[in-house]
Amino acid sequence: MIDDFLNSHYIKVLPDLIPGMGWTLGLTLAGLFLGFILGAIVGLGRLSRFKIISGFCSFYVEVVRGTPMLAQILFIYAGLTRDVIGFNIDPITTSIIAIAINAAAYIAEIVRGAVYSIEKGQHEAGRALGLSEKQTMRYIVWPQAFKRMIPPLGNQFVISLKDTSLLSVIAVNELLYAGKQYYNVTYTPFQTLIMVCLLYLCMTIPASLYLRRLERKLDV
Amino acid sequence: MITVNDLHKHFGSLEVLKGIDAKVEEKEVVCVIGPSGSGKSTFLRCLNLLEDVTSGEITIDGDVVTDPKVDINAVRSQVGMVFQHFNLFPHKTVLENITLGPIKVKGESEQEANENGRSLLEKVGLSDKADMYPDSLSGGQKQRVAIARSLAMNPKVMLFDEPTSALDPELVGDVLEVMKDLAREGMTMVVVTHEMGFAREVGHRVLFMDEGVIMEEGNPEQIFENPQDPRTQSFLSKIL
Repeated sequence: MIDDFLNSHYIKVLPDLIPGMGWTLGLTLAGLFLGFILGAIVGLGRLSRFKIISGFCSFYVEVVRGTPMLAQILFIYAGLTRDVIGFNIDPITTSIIAIAINAAAYIAEIVRGAVYSIEKGQHEAGRALGLSEKQTMRYIVWPQAFKRMIPPLGNQFVISLKDTSLLSVIAVNELLYAGKQYYNVTYTPFQTLIMVCLLYLCMTIPASLYLRRLERKLDV
Repeated sequence: MITVNDLHKHFGSLEVLKGIDAKVEEKEVVCVIGPSGSGKSTFLRCLNLLEDVTSGEITIDGDVVTDPKVDINAVRSQVGMVFQHFNLFPHKTVLENITLGPIKVKGESEQEANENGRSLLEKVGLSDKADMYPDSLSGGQKQRVAIARSLAMNPKVMLFDEPTSALDPELVGDVLEVMKDLAREGMTMVVVTHEMGFAREVGHRVLFMDEGVIMEEGNPEQIFENPQDPRTQSFLSKIL
């Protein structure tokens, strides 16, 4: 009985899926890292007094949020080719860019919302002490806003991680693509996809649990 | 110390201050009273440029602070401000709240700022709270910390924007006590307040504001015992 199970495709697929899981996680982290930097810039840009900057940042958010990520991935990979921009973009680079620009649009809203949620009095108290605008943001507003960003940023991590499955269309060997490759040969989509989903859950559930603990610790 | 000339302030099409002229002498305690919506808080906030002034001129200690070329941060670092809702920094300890300004704006060393901060906390009667966070303090304690935070900058003038309005009645006394001490030490103070007892006892001069202008001013006895303007009379009869 146990031998049967160990010899089944539920187990035999794992050596193929584990590297895919690594890619999924790696691409998510790399994309989110860039996405956070870009998102913070765009989010603060939306709060800018200068209409051109805030307008441009709003435009960016609307375009990215208003178009399907699948279309964005294909656009970067198949649309931006040598004829158009002078060079081709490989699938891995495409993946990181796609995750980054997509997450950045959502993170921009998270950053903007968090900064906006800090009471106006905090900013005033800082300025009234004689701190400059920059110092006030850095020492007073930003540290408080960052705490409030943690729960929604954790959500974004889970969302971006699942979004990496879309990268299978450009043959990036992430978790879903690895599974597809396997069942195309073995004709075992049922067992394979169950294992693929279980492995996604192995990443998302611990992330959620950790997040909940962090929220409690930070008292947000 | 402070001179205000024909100060106007608009919010959009609404004119909140309609030409204020006022003077505050060194070591003087001036209390600003008046009904809500009369513009008294806006007036106070214009003094350290938390509101930008529509027109008019404000001079503090010889510097024309309404001059667009003026270093706004330098002005503010010499003008302490205490808010109705305290506005302490919740992510910093009580002592850090007090030392942030001196360290970042005046470039004091941490040690210097800490020593100074602790002695200020002692002065406001809270030396045991230095390492606590503002959330664990009562309203009255928070406001005393906020006063210490302003004093740490060694200001030439202190502005108080309804400092006791958000406090439970039994906590008001401690805050007023600290303010009285300050007044006795010769701090120049402008206090927007509903505490008529404080204005009467500590104020050297009282300004009564209504509808964006100073309707009447004088020493506390004049204003409280013998108000001339009918609106001052009606305001005082409602609250006394």
